[in-house]
Amino acid sequence: MAATKISPLQALTVAALALPGLWAADCQAEEDEINFQYSRYQESRRNLIKTPNHSTPIEVDSLFGSAKVTLADRVKFAFNYSQDTWSGATPITVAPLVAGSNQSVVQTVKGSKPVVVGASPIIASRQIILNKNLKPLAFNNKGKFLGKDLRVVNVLSTASPETRKQGDFKLGYEWDEAALYAGGGISVENDYESRFGNINGRWDLNQKLTTLNLGLSYTNSDTSAIIDHDASTYLTKTAFLKQIDNQGAYQILTGNRQDWGSNFGISQVLNKEAFVEANVAYTRSTGYMENPYKATTVVFVDPEQPGINRLIGDVKALLEQRPDERDQWALTGSYHQYIGLFDAALHFNYRYFQDTWGISAHTFEAEWAQPIATTWTLTPRIRYYSQDAADFYTPYLTSKQAYEGIAKDATGREILVDADNPNNGKQYFRNDDFNLIDSSGNLVDENTLSTIPKTVAFDPKKLPANFSSDQRLSAFGAISGGVNLKKQITKGVSVEAGFEYYSHAGGLKLGGGGEGSYADFGYYVANASLNVNLASLNAGRKPGDHTGHSAHHHHHQGGAAPAGVMFAHMMNKADDVMVGYRFMHSHTGGNMLNGDGIASDASILANGCATRKAGCKMVPTYMDMSMHMLDIMYAPTDWLNLMLMPQFMDMQMNLRQLDGAPAPKLGEHIHAGTGHATGGIGDTGMYAMIKLFDLSSIHHLHLTLGLSAPTGDVDITLRRTHKADEGFIHYGMQLGSGTWDLKPSLTYTGQLDDWSWGAQVSTTRRLEDKNASGYALGDIFESTAWGSYRLNHWLSASVRGLYSAQSAVSGKFNPTPGLVKGKLKKNVNPNNSSVDYASNYGGRYWDMGFGLNAQINNGDLAGNSFGVEWLQPVATDVNGYQLDRGGAISATWAVAF
Amino acid sequence: MPKLRCYFLLPMLIAMSLVLSGCSSVAPWQRGTLAKPQMAASRSELAATMRSHNYGSREAASSSGSSGGGGCGCY
Repeated sequence: MAATKISPLQALTVAALALPGLWAADCQAEEDEINFQYSRYQESRRNLIKTPNHSTPIEVDSLFGSAKVTLADRVKFAFNYSQDTWSGATPITVAPLVAGSNQSVVQTVKGSKPVVVGASPIIASRQIILNKNLKPLAFNNKGKFLGKDLRVVNVLSTASPETRKQGDFKLGYEWDEAALYAGGGISVENDYESRFGNINGRWDLNQKLTTLNLGLSYTNSDTSAIIDHDASTYLTKTAFLKQIDNQGAYQILTGNRQDWGSNFGISQVLNKEAFVEANVAYTRSTGYMENPYKATTVVFVDPEQPGINRLIGDVKALLEQRPDERDQWALTGSYHQYIGLFDAALHFNYRYFQDTWGISAHTFEAEWAQPIATTWTLTPRIRYYSQDAADFYTPYLTSKQAYEGIAKDATGREILVDADNPNNGKQYFRNDDFNLIDSSGNLVDENTLSTIPKTVAFDPKKLPANFSSDQRLSAFGAISGGVNLKKQITKGVSVEAGFEYYSHAGGLKLGGGGEGSYADFGYYVANASLNVNLASLNAGRKPGDHTGHSAHHHHHQGGAAPAGVMFAHMMNKADDVMVGYRFMHSHTGGNMLNGDGIASDASILANGCATRKAGCKMVPTYMDMSMHMLDIMYAPTDWLNLMLMPQFMDMQMNLRQLDGAPAPKLGEHIHAGTGHATGGIGDTGMYAMIKLFDLSSIHHLHLTLGLSAPTGDVDITLRRTHKADEGFIHYGMQLGSGTWDLKPSLTYTGQLDDWSWGAQVSTTRRLEDKNASGYALGDIFESTAWGSYRLNHWLSASVRGLYSAQSAVSGKFNPTPGLVKGKLKKNVNPNNSSVDYASNYGGRYWDMGFGLNAQINNGDLAGNSFGVEWLQPVATDVNGYQLDRGGAISATWAVAF
Repeated sequence: MPKLRCYFLLPMLIAMSLVLSGCSSVAPWQRGTLAKPQMAASRSELAATMRSHNYGSREAASSSGSSGGGGCGCY
């Protein structure tokens, strides 16, 4: 059926692919540039109709970085890195409203009315009453019949933060009128790993008035999803038994999918002020395309029950089942028109999509790009999207069979089995006198054997082959609008900020007939980015120009501080600007320490969790932290530099159970799964660097005064799991300090011939006693000294020593009320691991650093500098009980102009 | 499916005819307006990538064409 439906298109696709020429819309000849972008996606709360919903909806923090450089005359290389950290509540299934599948979590405070603080999903087996047409019936609390109730509702489940990371590259060769690009990459998250490769070509014809593009891609993705522990017992996984692997307490669902994509495009200049583009794309996907966390609710109605007008239905949730093949076509047309009156450009885009799942979709997009006052560009945008539902989409299913029926033999007798060993293959029956007999008809002594009825599971063949309640596959429309503002700061450097609001609603579907309003939601996205065009920067430099930037370069030569030292370099010319990127990754792992010695599991168990009577149960096995920082530096005068330093953090860790710890109580949270992750914006630093003296160009001293704003989250909590709410994830996994911090430092640097050296002392003082979550991180003191030798005209090597000390966390997390197995507890913050205690933070640390610095003085990348440094722990003396340190790496890039 | 044929064939034919006829002759020195930054087909590439990733995680018609990647978007 599917094949006949698409045949004209298939023919066209083949014809299109056979055309000569090569291309891809996103790979025009491009200039060397570096980009950074941060974005935040925030969804609205879902409407749970009867249950107030106070759970945090989905939110995603994303960081993108990309670099495009010319490797040789015609050889281009591009590298992209992106990472998203997401968390929040999302629908896991849809259920009839009368099933009451969302439960309020209520907080009671003395002297005031109870407050609803969240909602908790119950997809556990429950029963509803239906009429003879299988429509759900509603009753009030006292059992009074209220009438038919056809409403359905999303059932939400909350996810702890998870991080996805993607790296990809593209290598290209460009001829005068053609180009060929090959690329590939990998995207990794806990439960999903995707590898992909692509090849794209471009061919310019007709004096470049016409451009043809052709692209081919292949993606191979593996799912390895831990099925929600709380949901697992109640989820019916029959269809996926072969894909589920039991690993200890976890059930892991694995699957593989492959996607082949191709596209062919053409762009054509129409006249001096307009051009059009057309593109046809075909993608074939095969394999496991389900969302492993989505289930479809099935109401099983046993046809043999006595009632006729009032039927009992068993509400169950089955893992969704999608077809394992999907062919997709998309046709896109764009029109770009210059509007002379406003010096603006109008961009219009239409896309038609159709696939073999029965979905067709239309997308209309319009953008108006308006330059304002030479350096600003304002771009408002509007988009409308509408799609039909997939053939197998359904909010929920009703099936006329028992979920679990009593097995009967061919003659209609109920089959009984041994209660202690039901699968031993032996069957028993009741004879006419109600005596127990075996399958040969011999009487069995009931004093020696207890029996239970044999049950049979539902027949999956009576259900549709495919079903999904994922609202992405439902019929709906979406309208979104936004604005993007771009500012050219100097030649080659621009910043951009954007905002978009998106509204998904069944009622917005083109032609009507969309999904009910229970599924409506919206989101907004805000983004900010920085673009550094290296080609433009260089274009501003004249060869032999010794007065301007090259003088500045001279300052760098041999004088570069190790990559791990911040605020070591001042720009000494008014109006100079520097943009840089700094990456730091640190690893802790290995032995647990107490002070400077190794701590045994027994001693941690007894003393590691100070105030917990039962002692410690868990310790961390590792913790990795990565920081991405942007340095934006400006010199208003020759003695003052101002610096803005936003940062993005991500962290991963896991825990293990201590040897000798008592076995977990039923329902107690024990980790040792895939661990925890957090990520997002960290604290933002603002600094002023003040030159104190510069002595005969050898000795230099400057003071840095810094303020760190608490932009990083300190209220990240763990998701509800094992039927228990959980509170704050520990202090080390929160993204910021939560307090305003003062960060002064004093830096001395010196330079003579090929040698340079320096020393710095710095501190971090918390300006508040506690943050919004109830605690403050310890103050930090650091001192460091280094020496560096210039190996040749562009490379130098450095060695340094570092001592740092941090005091323990003061205060502790505010109590978090929550539901544990249906009972309200005043405080559900985790307390069974050493990391949950404030006294197990801070310490004294000695490190050695080994670094390399490269300064590019000529060629296309002149003005760029790079640094890398490895920091090797030498000695560690921790407060309380903590993991040993494994070292840290720092890498920097900067360009001054 | 005649409806489908229409959707796909018409724009394709228009595009083809434009090429084949060579209807325009804009000399390279007349392309100053086309080269303006506000006229570029892709103006803010990172923002566009981010938007399509968001749409792709919430809509069914997200065929990525010729790039790949993007992860599960399983939330």
